[in-house]
Amino acid sequence: MTDVKGGQKTFKVFRYDPAKGGQGHFDTFVLDIEDYYATTILDVLFRIQREQDQSLAFRYACRVAMCGSCGMVINGKEGLACKNVVGDLRTDVITLRPLNHFPVVKDLTVDMEPFFKKYEDSMPYFEPAQELQEPAVVRPDTWERKAIDMATDCIACGCCVSSCTMAFWHKDYLGPAGLNRSMTLLADSRDGLHDERLAAAMESCYNCRLEFNCTEVCPKNISPTRAIKYIHRMAVRQGPGLADRLTSTPEPKALPAPEPLTPAMSRRRFLSRSAIGLGAVAGVAIGGMVTVSAISAAFKEPERKWVSLGPLEKIMDSPGEVATIYANYQLADGFYKRDEHKPVLVSLNREKNRIIAFNSRCTHLGCTVHWDEKKKLFMCACHGGTFFPDGVVKSGPPPRPLERYKTQVKNGNLLVLEA
Amino acid sequence: MLPKIKVDMLTLGMGAAAQLAALNAHDANPDLDILIVTKALRGKGGCSRMVQGGFNVVLDQKDSHQKHFMDTLKGGQFINNQDMAKTLVEQATNTIKEMETKYGCFFDRKPDGTVHQKAFAGQSFDRTVHKGDLTGIEIISRTTEQIMKRGIRVLEEHRALDLLYDRERSQITGALVMNIRTGELMVVEAAATLVATGGGPTCYRLCAPGPEKSLDGLAMLYRAGVEMMDMEMIQFHPTGLIVPGSVVAGALLEEGLRGAGAYLYNSEGERYMLRYDPEKKERATRDVVSRASYLEVMAGRGFPGGGVQIDAAHLGAEFVEKNFPGMTERTRLFGFDLANEPVEVSPTAHFLMGGAVINSDTETKVHRLFVAGEDAGGVHGANRLGGNGIADSCVFGRQAGKAMARFLERERTIAESDPQMVEHLCAHYRAPLSRTSGPVPADLRDRLRELNWVKVGIVRQGDSLAEASEEVEELMAEVLGAQVPSNTNYNMIWGEWLSLVNMLDFTRMSSKSAALREETRGAHARHDFPEQNDATGLYNIFLRRGQDGRPITEKRPVDLKYAAPPSKKNQPTA
Repeated sequence: MTDVKGGQKTFKVFRYDPAKGGQGHFDTFVLDIEDYYATTILDVLFRIQREQDQSLAFRYACRVAMCGSCGMVINGKEGLACKNVVGDLRTDVITLRPLNHFPVVKDLTVDMEPFFKKYEDSMPYFEPAQELQEPAVVRPDTWERKAIDMATDCIACGCCVSSCTMAFWHKDYLGPAGLNRSMTLLADSRDGLHDERLAAAMESCYNCRLEFNCTEVCPKNISPTRAIKYIHRMAVRQGPGLADRLTSTPEPKALPAPEPLTPAMSRRRFLSRSAIGLGAVAGVAIGGMVTVSAISAAFKEPERKWVSLGPLEKIMDSPGEVATIYANYQLADGFYKRDEHKPVLVSLNREKNRIIAFNSRCTHLGCTVHWDEKKKLFMCACHGGTFFPDGVVKSGPPPRPLERYKTQVKNGNLLVLEA
Repeated sequence: MLPKIKVDMLTLGMGAAAQLAALNAHDANPDLDILIVTKALRGKGGCSRMVQGGFNVVLDQKDSHQKHFMDTLKGGQFINNQDMAKTLVEQATNTIKEMETKYGCFFDRKPDGTVHQKAFAGQSFDRTVHKGDLTGIEIISRTTEQIMKRGIRVLEEHRALDLLYDRERSQITGALVMNIRTGELMVVEAAATLVATGGGPTCYRLCAPGPEKSLDGLAMLYRAGVEMMDMEMIQFHPTGLIVPGSVVAGALLEEGLRGAGAYLYNSEGERYMLRYDPEKKERATRDVVSRASYLEVMAGRGFPGGGVQIDAAHLGAEFVEKNFPGMTERTRLFGFDLANEPVEVSPTAHFLMGGAVINSDTETKVHRLFVAGEDAGGVHGANRLGGNGIADSCVFGRQAGKAMARFLERERTIAESDPQMVEHLCAHYRAPLSRTSGPVPADLRDRLRELNWVKVGIVRQGDSLAEASEEVEELMAEVLGAQVPSNTNYNMIWGEWLSLVNMLDFTRMSSKSAALREETRGAHARHDFPEQNDATGLYNIFLRRGQDGRPITEKRPVDLKYAAPPSKKNQPTA
């Protein structure tokens, strides 16, 4: 370890107050830290709250990475506030924002309901295959335990779901935490809901795009990606005939649960789902490939030129806060010329009489983002990335803000410098 | 008028005791409307989840309930409630089997595939069932899923402020509850109420439980006039991490390390436990080891951080990493390395043996009120054995669920809360929101932590205990004049104030009780009375809240129903 123990650090912390509403913003706090390696992000938050801003809200419980309450996005990567020490974060400014995809309650606290909903839909609960009086005899060196034991330390912190670009784009995708739990039960010889679970998992697991985000961020070093691949393999071996096996079982194995007060999946519901699921598997997989081919990454820097978007006055008269203008121009690209017909997003600040023109290409994988006037956000349909009106990333996988065009007004026309 | 929810069964807390109560009550009668109120997210609060070492239970043919019972009494220095200790050891066996076969927990196995049991301090047989060194995650994750499966309702990030009575003050009607996200108050009324919020002495400079714990249950029970016992019995765990200035300070390195053969050293390089307990050495019970460590530090043989060192490196790095992966990782995060070098540790406030007086069915003497887990007293006596804590929560949670289902068969009516009481409490708890001057809760909390550490700590003394009781009253007066920000949305400072009031009510009980026990017994050590005194007879200290807020106490002899101490110390030889 180096001699450097501590020093001054700047923290940019996302703030949102439900009493005030709006989009939220970042506040900057500067702290003198005695020892970077003895200070967790959770310590930092407690200090900011005590020394600088009593209104700061964050969540915690155990402070030793056992409860999964303090998940957040730390310098762009999901993690637990209690398990990240300042010394390991090598930037001068450390940015803290709430987990992606979840409604923000206040500042860094989010409503985890969507997480629990998906988790519950994965049928995470054990159902005994037989009524045993004694704990089952299972040798620790069996395949079963080797597969499961790596994956049972999940603390449901939501980091994986926040990092997943698929979990919230596909409404019925159970997501990494749910499928990881599915796998531990599917591999468990003691469990009695095997076929039903497999059907639900199969319906869902092909939505994984193997981006390994969940594996990378998991604070408990679990690899949900591995769990999902395990389910894929199991589906190949056990998938055929699954629908027949499910429909031919006359007696439900699950406990006849009373009318659920919180949403819990009934057997009837997952039976109907599994029937659809088995047919839909192939379609989903192919659909996925089509989506991937929509990526249009520019490999070569073409020559730039000013392109007109038409009279500025007309643009300023468009309804809403953002005008979507199609730019039509010819682009010289290597050996040939090609015609471009491309939406440019022009953010209109009528009060200050100012505009910002954004490239509509998502900074994640190049899909086209659109403006949602109701949510006041730029949204990307491919992997659920969202951006604030100033182009800054709000949530999802995009690594940087929307690209801004250089603009000028010439003869009353708005021009942007195209790339 | 506050919003009101009515249910059959209200459970305050969502640790192991609360969850097992809800599951067992539901399974006994699926028709019951059960509501769990937790101040954390579902399944994330409390200490059960933080359990490292494991669960003491008799499973082996060569072991017996009688042995576990005697170990528990010896650990508790024979002031345990013997009926409860008996229930603990007997029911633990069925409980752990159900957790495996019904809820899907999977504990570590021996090579032959049967459940592995490891060595823990103070036990005559290796009987601690575990899942690696982070057993609580397995238990709470699996039971929380079973709560989901049964569709039992959970109000998360809702905090109970006080128990409510009816107009005649003849029965508990439910609780006043706050929505942490909005600050709104509501009344939850139930035909039966279980307090299972867990204890956690977070009112000490160093403490093992998470900072979210705040003694809510014990304080609510005290304010409701429920009889409490053994409140002087506060366990300090010998091996808490030292990370100065961090909220992680005091977090545990688990007991199994000493069980596996780790050594403790003072700054002179001496294995001092050889001197304090030549027979059991580092495997002596927590009270003995904590006291020894404290005395070494006080004698000037401590390390710069104010602690001693635990050394597991001689067990082999590979062994430590394999058997204590959670602990190894925990130390490495802060630049220490348990697998390869000694790590500085200190005794840390860990567990409360005392609590509400209940019977084996978790019933209190107040109609419709049940208490289970760390909020209840009696089962552990003067000192709890490592591995008996999660066993207590699970066993008595299960007892509570079954007993409450039986109770609700007979009495499923919901009584109405006293509206005046509700109104008074609302005004009381909202008062600091509108104050614009006064002290800040965090400063007062720091003062309380130091006060407890120094005057109601590991080794105590009559005069400082008396001072502590007075200082607590002064602090309480200041706290009641404190201010917090007025925005009620996720107002953490207000939450801190609420916690502080509870910590102070707890300290009223602990300091008074500790002053009355003029001997050293189990976790309670007196500098002015260093001997355990069995001659005057074994007794418990009971208390309840008086009109002025201070406790009214009473000593009563222990009922040595099934077993008496083998050799009484300081017994006159006449």
